[in-house]
Amino acid sequence: MEITILQLIINGLLLGGMYALISIGLTLIFGVLEIVNFAHGEFLMLAMYASYFLFQFYGIDPYLSLFIILPLFFLIGIAVQRATIQPILNAPPLNQIFMTVGMSMVLQNVALFFWTADYRTVKTSYSALTLKTEGLMISLPRLVAFFLAMGLIAALLIFLKRTYTGKAIRALAQERKAAMLMGINVYRTYQIAFGIGIACVGAAGAMLIPVYFVFPSVGALFVLIAFVVVILGGYNSLTGSLVGGLIIGVVEAFSGFFISPHLKEAIYFVIFILILLFRPTGLFGRA
Amino acid sequence: MRSIVRNISENGLHPKIYFPFLLVVLMAILPLIPQNPFYEDIIVSSFFYGTMALAWNLVGGFAGQISLGHTAFFGIGAYASTLLYLHYDLSPWLGMLAGAVLSVLVAIGIGIPCFRLKSHFFALATIAIGEVLRYLASYWRGLTQGGVGLLIPFKPGIENFMFKSKLPYAYIALALMLVMLLICYGIRNSRFGFHLISLREDQDAAESLGVKTSRSKLAALIISAFFTSLSGTFYAQYLLFIDPSTLFSLGFSVELALFTIIGGLGTVTGPILGAFMLTPLDVFLRAWLGGVSAGLNFIIYGLVLMVAVKYFPLGIFGWVKSWYDPFLRKLPGGRRPLKTEKAVLPSLVLAKASNPARGRESSPFFEVQSLSKHFGGLVAVRDVSFQIQKGEILGLIGPNGAGKTTIFNLVTGFIPPDSGRVAFQGEPITGLRPPHQVCLKHIGRTFQVVKPFKDMTVLENVMVGAFARVHNAQEAGKLALEILAFIGLAKYQGSLASSLTIADRKRMELGRALATQPKLLLLDEVVAGLNPKETEEIIGIIKKISHQGITIFMIAHVMKAVMALSHRVIVLHHGEKIAEGTPLEISRDKRVIEAYLGEEYLA
Repeated sequence: MEITILQLIINGLLLGGMYALISIGLTLIFGVLEIVNFAHGEFLMLAMYASYFLFQFYGIDPYLSLFIILPLFFLIGIAVQRATIQPILNAPPLNQIFMTVGMSMVLQNVALFFWTADYRTVKTSYSALTLKTEGLMISLPRLVAFFLAMGLIAALLIFLKRTYTGKAIRALAQERKAAMLMGINVYRTYQIAFGIGIACVGAAGAMLIPVYFVFPSVGALFVLIAFVVVILGGYNSLTGSLVGGLIIGVVEAFSGFFISPHLKEAIYFVIFILILLFRPTGLFGRA
Repeated sequence: MRSIVRNISENGLHPKIYFPFLLVVLMAILPLIPQNPFYEDIIVSSFFYGTMALAWNLVGGFAGQISLGHTAFFGIGAYASTLLYLHYDLSPWLGMLAGAVLSVLVAIGIGIPCFRLKSHFFALATIAIGEVLRYLASYWRGLTQGGVGLLIPFKPGIENFMFKSKLPYAYIALALMLVMLLICYGIRNSRFGFHLISLREDQDAAESLGVKTSRSKLAALIISAFFTSLSGTFYAQYLLFIDPSTLFSLGFSVELALFTIIGGLGTVTGPILGAFMLTPLDVFLRAWLGGVSAGLNFIIYGLVLMVAVKYFPLGIFGWVKSWYDPFLRKLPGGRRPLKTEKAVLPSLVLAKASNPARGRESSPFFEVQSLSKHFGGLVAVRDVSFQIQKGEILGLIGPNGAGKTTIFNLVTGFIPPDSGRVAFQGEPITGLRPPHQVCLKHIGRTFQVVKPFKDMTVLENVMVGAFARVHNAQEAGKLALEILAFIGLAKYQGSLASSLTIADRKRMELGRALATQPKLLLLDEVVAGLNPKETEEIIGIIKKISHQGITIFMIAHVMKAVMALSHRVIVLHHGEKIAEGTPLEISRDKRVIEAYLGEEYLA
């Protein structure tokens, strides 16, 4: 039994690392631009396809494809921000919500049009490798993905703390007007923040493809989880996303084992509503 | 012939009344025309989508709360009636009601936690509930047959809500749509409708005028969920097949929003215009593009949505409106003005407000004791105490950041105090929240940065305030007209608030607060940013208000206003009260001069 519990915790944390990486991008975008990116899951989907095709056509290993996908999605994020988000930054919530909802619909159905609803995955030589110690089984690609995700999150947090651009992003998240008065180039900073958010979710996509299927609506499932993580951690706290992601991963592992893996969405939703009821600022959020 | 027409029109038949009736008759004839199932289907679908778009608009348009999960209520309605019919042989007519009740319960479960928060949370929660129900419906295979879906065996009969021809379906759908339309029309012209639009335009201002914003949003969602759920049952009975991925699809929720936005968000008839225009297009697109790829129509919708929210916020309604009234004028009887209630002349201005307060004689009219508030490490208000006598004008001054507006926010329920006591007419109101409760105690306020309901007319703005005391739209209108005459804005009553100058916006806000019939009125910087003439005028109005017996507590930066108006003044500096007295005493007080000008000026 103890081994089972330990195993579940490990499985949950490995999964939670991915959730954290996806959610941290969402939180960054929400915290800085005050926009909920409803198309976040679709960028995950696109990254998974990108990694899939890089493997299929050029034989590039999914983990290596990170080096292409990370900068590529950063640039895509900047372009998308300039074309669609920038014009509605000061618009009412309705316009902001439907801009990204519309984008989500378009991307999902464009994927359906070009790549059909087939489930695809990448079979690497290491996909099925596991480490076995003292009765525990740990999937090697998941373990690698976990450490990569933690590394990227750490790099992001250090970037935000140490560099000028990072400080500018944090300043904007706290007080838009004051940041402008301090001479921060607001629009450029928004673009960078959005680009980083998309790059994070892109990286998560590349890391997920060896262990998960890609299909046009795969993003919907992950973005639902990301919403719960963001609300749990506090919608303006990056640390909150990290911790929240890990918690939700563990919750999923346990509820999947003790209740039913098919009810996990319902459990997320219950958590979601409970947080909104009792602690709308989340675990780490500011009021 | 002509004389008959003229006669009828003079007897009260005006195009504004009979033309909509003609349109309804036309809609009733419509299903009888086509002999082709394809076109019959378009007509039924148009009515059906019209109902749903109207229901969505009540929440998304009137109240401005964006739901991305109306598909949840729709699906609940469809599944509830179908399961009850298949398993318990319950007539879908009854199952329809059961589903609607269930939907209302779900709506309450989502609304209560979300409506206290920013509107993004509601959008998130609704998108989540739709997704979750889709997974659940797929998961409980024993009950719902999962992703395969449920077939309802065809047993025609009115008790089974199944018909051989499409005609009965068309009329049921039309009836539902007309009921929903009447409800929306009724709401738009009622107190409830004013509350919804005002909270959409500015939640804080609405609260300050006594609008129970959370409860109003919830009520709108409940009505909307109820009718969306009825439509769900209708859909199930019309197609006789339901499955989770169609019923609970995000695309469906977004379609409803799209119909509304294209038609005219927040208008009464816009959603129907949108549904009538887009449904045929939708059916054609599906028939035409369906063979190519299932998702193509959604690509188009998504793109249209992204463009529409940016470039056509008014939708078709805005365009129809531009020719509708001129067109009506050309119809028989259209030249004559529509007989309405006689314009009300200002009579007993604010008679109710000047009623003597019923508070105990011994206690002070308004009293604040040791009020404190800190934000993190910053102490905004420290141990402030003061009293206001009935009928007096008390000024509150102090350098920027002294904590003046914070005091207003503390006593009007916008921020809870850390400690201290507030009492009004002997009754403790410390930390009374949310703000509408304070308003209902007869304490009114204005805001430092004006918060007009921009999409409402000046008259409607003031009516929102009047609705704090009266429930009938006619009485509210009457009261609002009196107030407008009193503050000198009557000539702008029909103009949109967004078209007013800053000075007039401030006046309107004053009028709005006045319409709630306050006994104590808190004015935050009513003269800031005005030119000398405008300042003079507002000072005159404030004097008039004071003569009506209303007690005034005002923040002012403009010394001329403070000196001219205040009987007494209190001075705040770094969150602490440093002086209190008559304007003359204050102007000679060393601490005050020091606070404003710095120590070096004290020589």
